This record gives sequence, structure tokens and C-alpha cells, in this order.
Amino acid sequence: MQTHLLERNYLLANLKELIVRTLRLEDVSPEDIIDSEPLFGEGLGLDSIDALELVVAIEREYQVEIPDAEVGRRAFASVSALGDFVLEKSSAQKASDAVG
Amino acid sequence: MRWVETTTTVRFNEVDQWGITWYGHYFAWFELARMKVLEKFSLLPEQFTALGFIAPVASARCEFKKPARTNDIITIQTHLLKPQTASLTFRFEILLRADGSLLAKGETLQVLQKLDGTLIYKLTGTLKDLVEAMVQYFWPD
Repeated sequence: MQTHLLERNYLLANLKELIVRTLRLEDVSPEDIIDSEPLFGEGLGLDSIDALELVVAIEREYQVEIPDAEVGRRAFASVSALGDFVLEKSSAQKASDAVG
Repeated sequence: MRWVETTTTVRFNEVDQWGITWYGHYFAWFELARMKVLEKFSLLPEQFTALGFIAPVASARCEFKKPARTNDIITIQTHLLKPQTASLTFRFEILLRADGSLLAKGETLQVLQKLDGTLIYKLTGTLKDLVEAMVQYFWPD
């Protein structure tokens, strides 16, 4: 259980770093991003063009696809939601690789 | 890296009371040139719609270097930037055909949406194939 929590915290920290780096956010450091804060609109204030860039970076880094804004609404609700999405999709991917 | 050229003539109704082209018309010329490119790759608006998508412009910019005047023949050069995301960025340069001088340059960014307005993050199927063919044309290596 503790290992799982550590793994998740590490992932969230990496995602924050990825967001700041990918979107070249100058006034925000990874530590400033609150886990539960919305990424778009209020909160971090990202827009749809940012989402397009973020999706590419997430796929490159974690091999997890976010095909459109409908799925993105859930995945990008917050860093915490994004972390859960990545964990869920990558474990589903591992399971299907194991079966395949 | 390739460019596609389109030529048109500045009409009387496109200039303002100072005799120079009103700034908004440059965007209409970008559109004219972009349509010529999109036609080549079966990506005209109605063809997008038939595939279940639209491609609205999310941002556009233009720098004005020298005024165009009535009856000037202008060349609009169009180029597609290599897409890094699920979007289309066209770059334009408008030149005066008489001496090749640069009148304006700019860019438009189009995002891709399903017909219900949902933003597409990843191209798939026929749309992907058509866009890739267009990218291949502008970036032939």
C-alpha cells in the first residue's frame, strides 16, 4: 500500500514537471501546482492548444493515449486525476501485453 | 520544404480611403491560398465535414510590411509547418508580383474537432491519411 502511494506521489511530481517543461510555463514551478487544482480554465489556466501539446508529451513519456477532449475532460481534471488516468491506462496496457 | 503559390489582384473594394488594402483582407487572401492547398489534398471544408470533422481557426496573425494597392497583382505563398500536435499551422507570405517585395507575412493555426465540437487530440483513419499526404508534400524527405 505504502509502495503504491510512493509510486503515485512520484508520478504526480513527474507530471507536474512535465506540464511546466512542455508548456514552458514561466511563472509556475512544478511545486506550485496543487494536486486537486483544475488544469484548464480556472486553476492552472491552460487552454485547448496547451492540451494538444500535453497529450503528445504524455504519450511520449508514458505511452498513454488521450484521443480527444471527451476523454481529456476526465484525464485533465487535475494533476491527481491525470496521475490516476496514467496509472489506470498503463496497468491496463501491461495486462493486455501480458495476455498478448 | 515546399511552398504553394496563388495569385490574385487587389480589387478596388479591398482598399480603404487612404488607397491601401484594409488589414482584414490579408486574412481573406490567406484563406484563398489555403483553400487552394486543401483542395489539392481533398481537405476542403465539405470534405472535412463528410469525414465527420471541422477545422476551425484557433489563432491567426499577420505582420504588415508594405501596403498593397488597387490592381496590384499579388502572390500568396503558402507552406504547412510540420505538425507537432493534432493541428494544422499554415504560414503565408504575400509578395508584390511586379518586384517580388514582401507585403505581409502571417500564420493560421487550425484545430480539429468532431462535428459536435469535441476537440481531437489525435488523428486517426482517413483524416490522418489525408493530413499525412499533405505533410509529405510540403516536407518531401
